[in-house]
Amino acid sequence: MAYLQIEDLQVSYGAIKAVQGVTFSVEKGEIVTLIGANGAGKTSIMNTIAGLIKPAGGTITFDGKEIGGRKPYTIVKSGLTLCPEGRKIFPRFTTYENLKMGGYTMSPAAIERGIERAAELFPRLKERFDQVAGTLSGGEQQMLAVGRALISEPKLLMLDEPSLGLAPIVVQELFECFTRINKDGTTILLVEQNASMALEISNRGYVVENGKINITGTGKELADNDKVREAYLGGM
Amino acid sequence: MFFQQLFNGIIIGATYSLVAVGFSIVYSVLELVNFAHGSFYVLAGYLVLTMYSFMALPYPVALLASLVITSILGALMNKCLLEPIRRKTSSGESVMTATLGVSTFILNLIMVLYGSETKPFPMPFDLGRIYIGNVIMKWDQIIIGIAAVIMIVIMSLIIYKTKIGSGMRAIAQDVSAAKLMGVNTEMVITVAFFSGTLCAAIAGILIAMYYGSVDTTMYLGVSMKTFAASLLGGIGSLPGAALGGVIIGILEAFVAGYVGAEWKDCMAFVVLILVLLFRPSGLFGHKEIKKV
Repeated sequence: MAYLQIEDLQVSYGAIKAVQGVTFSVEKGEIVTLIGANGAGKTSIMNTIAGLIKPAGGTITFDGKEIGGRKPYTIVKSGLTLCPEGRKIFPRFTTYENLKMGGYTMSPAAIERGIERAAELFPRLKERFDQVAGTLSGGEQQMLAVGRALISEPKLLMLDEPSLGLAPIVVQELFECFTRINKDGTTILLVEQNASMALEISNRGYVVENGKINITGTGKELADNDKVREAYLGGM
Repeated sequence: MFFQQLFNGIIIGATYSLVAVGFSIVYSVLELVNFAHGSFYVLAGYLVLTMYSFMALPYPVALLASLVITSILGALMNKCLLEPIRRKTSSGESVMTATLGVSTFILNLIMVLYGSETKPFPMPFDLGRIYIGNVIMKWDQIIIGIAAVIMIVIMSLIIYKTKIGSGMRAIAQDVSAAKLMGVNTEMVITVAFFSGTLCAAIAGILIAMYYGSVDTTMYLGVSMKTFAASLLGGIGSLPGAALGGVIIGILEAFVAGYVGAEWKDCMAFVVLILVLLFRPSGLFGHKEIKKV
């Protein structure tokens, strides 16, 4: 079985079915991307894997254990951390306090180690350690959100729309970091609307449409797929 | 006269601060106006009365047992009532109304069991008094003041220096982000209710000692002053609540001493309104950071 195996996952908000039976997998060491339009159900899938939403059906297996419907804090402890859509940094905490918060489940020594690594990965964060996070620029906030998620030393890092609202140069920088994080041994599940960039760094990808997965393939296959190009890559 | 009123005001103000700090712990985490807070303050005094006067337990045991029982009831109110409501609805008003129900239940239960008249509160020791200049300081007043300050310091250390405290402050800013950090949010919220109620219980007992009596009308007075102190300091801010409580205590003492006791309760609100007109976020309130 795959490292992360999602089987027939369903998510509902009351009577509305946001995700209607999605099956996909992530192998250890991969970068896998879910692409799709607004409202396709990508964020619902991510939030459900992270435990923020209870699945209405299906199974989520991570590292051989069923984690569907577990509380978020047990999921974080099992090695799966979500860097959520919209960054969700703690605006009144300083950059440093935000990073420390990322290690809530970790020992003080591990937190120290993690913060050092985050500072090395994003040198700009180090300059902003004592600044209240709500006053950081959008790019810095996203770096902080990624750095904070790394402090919990996830085996699998989930990134939900990390490029949202950022300048292309900042996105470029971020995606280079993702490749680096992946090379250092962290498996990555990425959700992106910026499909071309995401597929470029991904081993494999899935296209989510109306709560279902319709197309799948390697990053290159999807980037070359006519339908994908038309719908998500601006028909280049 | 001036220094005597100042001293009395600081002591009584310290107990207001303690109730307001407890109120603010819960408010800052959930943005919930907990109407049951004041009823736990009243209940703690009655529990001491029950265990010391009727069950003849030793005084320290009665005090400690009352604090433990009251705090556990505060935590249980969250776990068994408010948490299930929160799970079903995102409406803060529903939760707030539930706390109003709890407070009504507690106060009426006390009236059924004890009647509505004022009961003398046991204070088995007369600790004597000291004079500094012509200011009379009773030892029990001094102990009340010190106890309130120690509790406020302990609570601040918990909130600002411990892991569970950082969990509370994280929940206050973004619940789902706190969950993603691995915070067991429901557990942390229950701890917030336990500690907040403990503050109310300690203050309730200290005030009962101070006046030598308990009755259910204490509820309204303390609730009003708690809201006033918290808003004055900046709602949700712990240092603000502590400062707001002392300011209101001192104001009351001066108004009672120089103007007349019947004016003291309304003066707190006159000042509160003035402060809010000129500084709506209160003395220590954090201004909203807006950034897209």
